[in-house]
Amino acid sequence: MNENLDRRNFLKMGGAMLAAGTAGCATGVTGSAVAESGKSASVATGMKAALPPAKGPRLVIVGGGTSGLTIAKYAKKEYPKFDVVLVEKRDMYSSCFSSNMWYAGLINLEFLAGHSFMDAAVNNDYIYFNATVTGLDRASRTLATSEGDIHYDFLVLAPGISYDYDKIGVKDVGVMTALRQTYPGGFISPTEHVSINRKVRDFEGGVFVQTVPSGNYRCLPGPYERACLLASTFKKNKVKGKILVLDANPEITIKKEGFHAAFNELFKDYIEWLPSKAVMGVDVEKKIIKTEFDEYKFDDAAIYANVRGSTLIEQLGLMAPESKSNQKEANIDTRFYNIVGDPHVYVTGDSRPHPYSKSANTSNTEGHFMAKVLAARAQGKEIAWISPRTLCYSMVNGDPMEAISVDAGYDYSAEKDAITGFSKDTKTFESRDSAKGQATLEWARGMYRDMFEA
Amino acid sequence: MDRRGFVKACAGGAALALANWDNLVLAGSFEAFPPAKLTNKIGIPLKATEIPTGEAMVFAYPVAGVPCFLINLGDKTSKANPKLAGEKDEYDWAGGVGPNGNIVAFVAICTHQMSYPQPEVSYMRYAAEGSELAGAPGRIVCCAHASVFDPAEGARPVTGPATFPLLPVRLAYDPVSDELSADGILGMDYIRRFFKTYKGDLNARYGPGGYRQPVEGKTIALPLSKYSEIVPAC
Repeated sequence: MNENLDRRNFLKMGGAMLAAGTAGCATGVTGSAVAESGKSASVATGMKAALPPAKGPRLVIVGGGTSGLTIAKYAKKEYPKFDVVLVEKRDMYSSCFSSNMWYAGLINLEFLAGHSFMDAAVNNDYIYFNATVTGLDRASRTLATSEGDIHYDFLVLAPGISYDYDKIGVKDVGVMTALRQTYPGGFISPTEHVSINRKVRDFEGGVFVQTVPSGNYRCLPGPYERACLLASTFKKNKVKGKILVLDANPEITIKKEGFHAAFNELFKDYIEWLPSKAVMGVDVEKKIIKTEFDEYKFDDAAIYANVRGSTLIEQLGLMAPESKSNQKEANIDTRFYNIVGDPHVYVTGDSRPHPYSKSANTSNTEGHFMAKVLAARAQGKEIAWISPRTLCYSMVNGDPMEAISVDAGYDYSAEKDAITGFSKDTKTFESRDSAKGQATLEWARGMYRDMFEA
Repeated sequence: MDRRGFVKACAGGAALALANWDNLVLAGSFEAFPPAKLTNKIGIPLKATEIPTGEAMVFAYPVAGVPCFLINLGDKTSKANPKLAGEKDEYDWAGGVGPNGNIVAFVAICTHQMSYPQPEVSYMRYAAEGSELAGAPGRIVCCAHASVFDPAEGARPVTGPATFPLLPVRLAYDPVSDELSADGILGMDYIRRFFKTYKGDLNARYGPGGYRQPVEGKTIALPLSKYSEIVPAC
């Protein structure tokens, strides 16, 4: 157990994030939508959303992921007068967290997806509204959606992340489109997970590439964990295959001792990990990945592009300046998450510009804190900042189940108004064992209970 | 839950002079239930002096679906810990019972996100010898999110995300027979939420509604390692 994740690592991580910002931000093809700069999103559909009149201050939350679901439940608990509406574009939940375990057959899809937005709303006395956001007018406090306009007193946007293919040298929109659906990264939507699960089952041998992006990407250990679980599966099924991990970073970004140990001790014949291999282009047809000096041929792949704040944040004109985030994240107050200068609009979860690990546990604990912030502000009060917590397990072996973990907090500097590093009580547990393997399953179940149950 | 046959009576506590839980009894959410004698697998009452110190025992109380830990703290003395902050009320926990005052009981449901001992696996355990997460010997750890509780101090949270103690179970000790009974718990609101959360699982395990059946007169206490097939040593 390491008492402290060392500070240099944290700063290095921050440094990597800053460095990542230099590649081609200007071209602008970044996700499913392209916002024209300087033009704020159009608003007011002229149709009112079919919702009962608000019985108290209306808190509208956009996004039913870990952040949004946690805030919807706990804001209502903290301040029962809130009239809470959760706007979510999906009609079926499935978690991104824990999805790697499915590929190794350790869980089934129901483990990830057997959780109802409707039950969460009924259990916790709020409204689940199945709609897509189309615009925002902050002057009149109106959120426009595909199902009509909603007036809000407080608005929380928790739309998660989008991929930034620009940063892996894929600037052509045709190539990007082919890449995102042929070799999905698997760190956003359930349909990506289904696709990767199918790939793992279909794989008969050869090279399976897993890339690791630079910057502050979602689920830092995720790509390494996936490499382990795919290797474990191939080993068990006697597939003569290799997982080639092309890592943009010079070192494994988190829990490096635990991952190196798993790579070397369990999967020496299955995993080849290559550091400092940032993807700089992909030939989808020929199945070739280009890095600075080399080219790698693959049979199948999960290509994890860089990560940015959700395109929704950009569309709504809420993006932080380059000086504050080089990943198109939200322009929010460091401690209390309101859009700078607007105490009625907040951005939480993985669209935040903080150097926090973009993990479910971070969003969940941040959500508990944000519920308190919103409850206080609805009553004209302020509360003290509390650090989120990143308790994160990685299953490094599927047969038998063994895991490693990290339990991190963060320090805030008032002088710099910034998050400056891991807190003193941060610990890593990098010797893999079956106890942590079991705990990994229950960690996820606890998350689901906290978001969906009363 | 079905309350028929249950006694919700603060006065019920008065009869149990040996368990000095007066302040607990005053707490709003304390509920007395008909006492149940703790027995071994074949129904013979457990002797306090025979309760092992190496691991917790698990018994159901006050109804079939609520797992509780029975812990012999061994050399560790329990200390009465006035003014514990529960989920809703403050309460005084009176410490352990038994010949050495070191036998304690708590509901074995983590107060963070409700992990609990199941026949297949228990993510909660009493780590008598300490563990990677526990930080010190003699603590209750929950593997799921690293909550750690100190049973010698009313199972108050020591580290991790849990914000209030494990729910206390009141024990009565008869020095003549050296036998123990459970006769009340604090925090039935939490138990009701637990039931709602796990209703499907509990119905599958106990039959429809079976988890709500009162334990009548006696309840079997099994070592955790016998109760759950897998007990991860977090």
